Amino acid sequence: MALDSDRYASRADTAVLGACLVLSLVALALPAGLREPVAGALRRTVLLPVLALQRATVQAAEARVRLALVRAERDSLVLETTFLPELRAENLRLRDLLGLAGRLGHGFVTAEVLHQAGVADATTLLLSAGRDASVEPFAPVLGARGLLGVVRDVDAHSSVALAWTHPDFRASAMVEGMAIYGIVRSRRGEISGEVMELVGVPYREQLLPGTRVVTSGLGGVFPRGIPLGTVQGVLSEASGWERTYLLRPAVHPSEAAHVIVLQPARAQDTLAAAFDTARPGTDSLVLLRDSAGMRVLTVPPRGRGARPAPGERP
Amino acid sequence: MRISEARIKVALVLALLVAAQYVLRPRLGDSRFAPDFVLIALLFFAIRVRPMGGTIAGFLVGVVTDAVAPTAFGAAALALTVVGYAAGWLKAVVFADNLLVTAVFVFAASWVRDGIEVLAAHQLEGGALAWQLLAFSPLAALSTAAAAAVMLVLFRGWLRQHPA
Repeated sequence: MALDSDRYASRADTAVLGACLVLSLVALALPAGLREPVAGALRRTVLLPVLALQRATVQAAEARVRLALVRAERDSLVLETTFLPELRAENLRLRDLLGLAGRLGHGFVTAEVLHQAGVADATTLLLSAGRDASVEPFAPVLGARGLLGVVRDVDAHSSVALAWTHPDFRASAMVEGMAIYGIVRSRRGEISGEVMELVGVPYREQLLPGTRVVTSGLGGVFPRGIPLGTVQGVLSEASGWERTYLLRPAVHPSEAAHVIVLQPARAQDTLAAAFDTARPGTDSLVLLRDSAGMRVLTVPPRGRGARPAPGERP
Repeated sequence: MRISEARIKVALVLALLVAAQYVLRPRLGDSRFAPDFVLIALLFFAIRVRPMGGTIAGFLVGVVTDAVAPTAFGAAALALTVVGYAAGWLKAVVFADNLLVTAVFVFAASWVRDGIEVLAAHQLEGGALAWQLLAFSPLAALSTAAAAAVMLVLFRGWLRQHPA
């Protein structure tokens, strides 16, 4: 291909255009079962170096931003570790008395979200953890404030997650602390991809604006208690049967830089305590305080009752 | 000899743009509005070769782009094939060292690419489709055009097209 060659398209140019267009249309028409192996092969070969480069870039940028925070946290941890043994013993006693389950101390991996170009990818997330980090299909993907999506395909070093904004995404949901169930999906139509809707709520149950909606744990994919969103108002109602509510999502995929991918063993757990949803206004993951080895996304405000000791896994 | 040197310089700029896509772009905030450096590289390449070269390059870049968003596999390939061919065909109109024309050209190419990709992907509908095509896509095209203009200013000497 010479620089500055012919001005107009020849027959060969037109033929190549036709061939590429046909191939593109064939790719678009491929069933999901064939699409993913091709895409996965490209990610494992051609895209491997650039994805590695991007992962390193994201991690480097994150490291710089978090350095000051990590130093401050390290100092706090050193101080608080002094009281660790007695706190641990006390916590164990109290949890035993109350019959509480343990917190999220294991069974998850952290991953970076590798944002990519393209206007059709707002509904999928490319994660930097794959089979090598024990990520499996259908693993829930959590952000700092709630559910982001679910892992769909897993490669050796990366995975593709379906964000809740995807038209196919559904999550069994319940009103926090009440036996009111429904299904959460992204709102299609006017403001698609920006808000959720809670469908199938019994007509006799009326939800007030501000009511929190969390995963119900039914279905065996998402553990119970992961925040999904907050009720904004009624969208529609089938008189005498059910109501559909508009939800403001707890977290939007475009905000996500780091995520937690749960392992299947956690699917039957209850994560309400991990998200601390019982206390209004709480905007950070308690589960992030579970492990000193994890990156802390937000600093929980002080003075909200007893904080667990750093590194504690009661 | 001169042409070979020019080719090497253009190749270096293209490699720089591809690297920027994965090193710089993640740091530029919301990916919906961030400039698409790979598209700029494709356009800079396509206006220097026959339409056939632009078409093949567009198709290959599109397939690789699709690999990270497999729900719409083929949409980016389709869009970039058209854009690559059109850029190769329009090279007589677009001068690589004309800042304004190049910026307008990149803006239009980015918007057209988004339009084809969104419609082919068939993931959005109604108001969301309108928002994407009339708000997000033009903003992304604007940032891409600005990035292309910056590249042209920085590498004007390297990107100047020599007569055949």
